[in-house]
Amino acid sequence: MTQASVVLALVVVTALAFDFTNGFHDTANAMATTIATKALRPKTAVALSGLLNLVGAFLSVQVALTVTNAVVKIQNSNGTPKASLVSDGGSALLLIILAGLAGGIIWNLFTWLLGLPSSSSHALFGGLIGATIAGLGWAGVNWNGDGSKLDGVVGKVLLPAVLSPVIAGVVALVGTWIIHRITAGLAARYTDQGFKWGQIGSASLVSLAHGTNDAQKTMGVITLALIASGDWTDTKNIPFWVKVACALAIALGTYLGGWRIIRTLGKGLVDIAPAQGMAAQSSSAAVILASSHLGFALSTTHVATGSVLGSGLGRPGAQVRWRVAGRMITAWLITLPAAGVVGALMWGIGHLIGGLAGALVVFALLVAAAVAVWLRSRRAPIGSHNVNDDWDVAAGPEHAAAVAAAEAPVAPAPATVTAAS
Amino acid sequence: MSDNLGFALEGAWKVLFAGLVLGAGLPLLFALGIRSLAWGAGGEAEVHESGVTGPKAQPIGTVLAFVLFAIVVLGIALGITFVVASGFGKALSFEHIYPTIVPKH
Repeated sequence: MTQASVVLALVVVTALAFDFTNGFHDTANAMATTIATKALRPKTAVALSGLLNLVGAFLSVQVALTVTNAVVKIQNSNGTPKASLVSDGGSALLLIILAGLAGGIIWNLFTWLLGLPSSSSHALFGGLIGATIAGLGWAGVNWNGDGSKLDGVVGKVLLPAVLSPVIAGVVALVGTWIIHRITAGLAARYTDQGFKWGQIGSASLVSLAHGTNDAQKTMGVITLALIASGDWTDTKNIPFWVKVACALAIALGTYLGGWRIIRTLGKGLVDIAPAQGMAAQSSSAAVILASSHLGFALSTTHVATGSVLGSGLGRPGAQVRWRVAGRMITAWLITLPAAGVVGALMWGIGHLIGGLAGALVVFALLVAAAVAVWLRSRRAPIGSHNVNDDWDVAAGPEHAAAVAAAEAPVAPAPATVTAAS
Repeated sequence: MSDNLGFALEGAWKVLFAGLVLGAGLPLLFALGIRSLAWGAGGEAEVHESGVTGPKAQPIGTVLAFVLFAIVVLGIALGITFVVASGFGKALSFEHIYPTIVPKH
């Protein structure tokens, strides 16, 4: 095994790890409301969502090879890597990708620890942008596109991030209000049973759409790495094993369930009744599908959160916990730059040490950060058993600790993470 | 920046419109369906004064309910078709009012 192939293997493993975090970070988007209203049992919900993500990932036949072009200039428009980056066996490009992925993963894990639904695509793009700035300078980033269409960091990432939660929120608000007006005065067994099925249907649609959209991004990144190292040349197709591996990684991640985030979105933001759950989930499904139909890039997380918020505003008498909402919005704002800083740091460390050793150190740091976050999470575990506990009522010392962990501004986390926040 | 802002706002209006039609419109029909179902069942399905028997069953309500549910199911089927079609590099066209699958341009 040559040095280059070891680095390539590290990149592939890291990309699959990112795909995995992408899965469990986003389970909440599809299933949080369904779990909160008890339309499905927690385990059933994550299993259904995982399965649909798997199916969705296999449905994405179209090549997503140019995924990084939206934000950075490391690829030509036909998907091949820039010649200047592959002159030495692709190691320059591989380091940027590795560092970028590491930045995305670390930020995803950190926000998961805090139970915050931040966007996985922002984390990935942020990491890649940071690593690219460190490696190629500011000019390596596609900030604004060429002005002919919605493109660049501003057009593909920042503007949709501001607009999409507002759109989803308005749709969910209108939907919730209408449903409550129409079904007022009906016996609860009629409405709840009906809305249960409505929720399961719309949540399934969101899961399927998530699988097709998000697994593709990792498939594109891995294939780019393979092309850079000279192990793949076809820019029209993705190796079959890459597709299988990515589909399995995102499905397993989803099945694991990001219970901390599910709890925040399902119980923390608003107290969700079945009618609201259906309105919120329908809004998410419609907005996600409509925007991908119209080529308007957006984050599933932002849409889902906007919908839940809107459903809280639409039900007469429902309260929104604005403190939780504020923390979420803060997390959204800092996701891109924070993942970028971690990505840039990782690139710097990898570059300073250089070669195979550099890549190995970046990988080791990533593993250390992941283990540290996981150990920290064990202090106040949240799982399928307590995901639906009341948000405000402290059930015991364990719960109080969980709330404290979830509401602490910055948890004492591993050095790499604190440095980034 | 200003170009992007223009494109984004243009896209946002379309997404909002489609979102309202599908994301709030289908739940509206679904809620009407549930209302009809309860109307069709009569008796205890609707909240009424205690001590009085509930309203009479209206079979037409049940029929109406299933018509409404069928429309909702069609809407969801359209959504799934869209996801599958875009995965295979196709798009849905609403050129002929009813949706057709066309190659993505």
